[in-house]
Amino acid sequence: MTKHATFLMCSPRGEKSASYSLGNYVSSLLEDRGITVKSFHTYKTLKNSEKIEEMIASINESSIIILSSPLYIDSAPYMTIKLMDTVSTAKQEGKINDDKRLLLAISCAGYLEYYHNNIALKIYKQFAKKNDFTWAGGFPIGAAGTFAMHTVPGLLEQVAQLPEDDVRYQIYGKPTKILDSAFKTAVEKISNGEVIPKEELLKLEVVVMPLGSYIEGGNKNWIDWAEKIGTVEKLRDKPYEKK
Amino acid sequence: MSYLILNGMQSNDSIIPKINKFIAEKLQEHDIKGEILNLHEKDIKPCLGCFKCWVETPGICIIDDFGREVAEKMIQSDYLFYITPIKYGGYSSELKKALDRSIGLLMPFFRIFHDEIHHETRYDKYPNFSVIGTLDEPNKEQEEIFTNLVKRNSLNNFAPKFTSQIIYTSDDEQTIKTKIDNSLRIMGEEND
Repeated sequence: MTKHATFLMCSPRGEKSASYSLGNYVSSLLEDRGITVKSFHTYKTLKNSEKIEEMIASINESSIIILSSPLYIDSAPYMTIKLMDTVSTAKQEGKINDDKRLLLAISCAGYLEYYHNNIALKIYKQFAKKNDFTWAGGFPIGAAGTFAMHTVPGLLEQVAQLPEDDVRYQIYGKPTKILDSAFKTAVEKISNGEVIPKEELLKLEVVVMPLGSYIEGGNKNWIDWAEKIGTVEKLRDKPYEKK
Repeated sequence: MSYLILNGMQSNDSIIPKINKFIAEKLQEHDIKGEILNLHEKDIKPCLGCFKCWVETPGICIIDDFGREVAEKMIQSDYLFYITPIKYGGYSSELKKALDRSIGLLMPFFRIFHDEIHHETRYDKYPNFSVIGTLDEPNKEQEEIFTNLVKRNSLNNFAPKFTSQIIYTSDDEQTIKTKIDNSLRIMGEEND
């Protein structure tokens, strides 16, 4: 019997987002194993009652759920919480049966350090618990902006020719290889109805460059953007300062 | 001195209005004035994740709705309260829809703060803040997540002082008042 999965993509940035890029990659790995995947962009879905019904029906048919979300202020964004509430209500109303289903969550932070995502992933684990989904495991992604610009296979292709002691390989190639391997193991496991081994997820707990280097690069990006639109002088404005 | 209460309850909540009332009464006793924003009654559109509040219109969200007013009131308060039913260990969607729109209160630039990366401050002063979450019954896992979330928020909000408190819907009036007093005392004492 064909297995089904549901991919819940929770970024307002749609297909330009790391949440999409990474969740879509996991979906493609599931499809390679003959599992059909239905995707829902929650910002569009939750505005439309027919789409909500379609999403709930998809979850009801699925043995695997992929939730991929950005991290906003240490936790789930508004729309991701609303999504969890919508699914929880549907479960309470009996619209989602008690069949075993696994939840894999991906949390994407703009900060370099992966661990900023830890609380959000714990929240997604509680969501799984509330709805009797089996928690398959959570992927804490730091510096996630990289994956908004590149897919995992695309990035691996770009660094393929670099020697291992090249700094670009160390910063981009090595962690992406670890992530790719973890995703592939995760998909193998969840396809067989198993959870992701903890040791596989622990491999993701790395900070890939000195904090100072990330800060320097990140801050330059903001200045570059501001220079293009002529707002550099206004960046430090305090529009709501108490008079 | 002023306070701002961001009420993150759903429309049918029975306990949060009582909590808000007790906080407001207690603060008024100390001549601290302020207001309660019932976020579930406000039309606040979701954050677009566009970062234009950092670069194109620095400090101001590009969406012109009540979300802008909330951010302004937040930074202008001396005591900021988040009151929320605890959802999966975190905040309610009603509260979070306003908070997500407030990132313009920070700068886009990064810096090292407490040995990790955080944003730079935009303003010279940020409010003390207290978060009160409600639960129907004790839930160790969710309470731990909630407490840690408030602690993490205090780093990203640059709150000089912060407290978190959990109130159960079964708590009697005296217990609720005692818990609120404890939060206010910590914010006040350490602020002297």
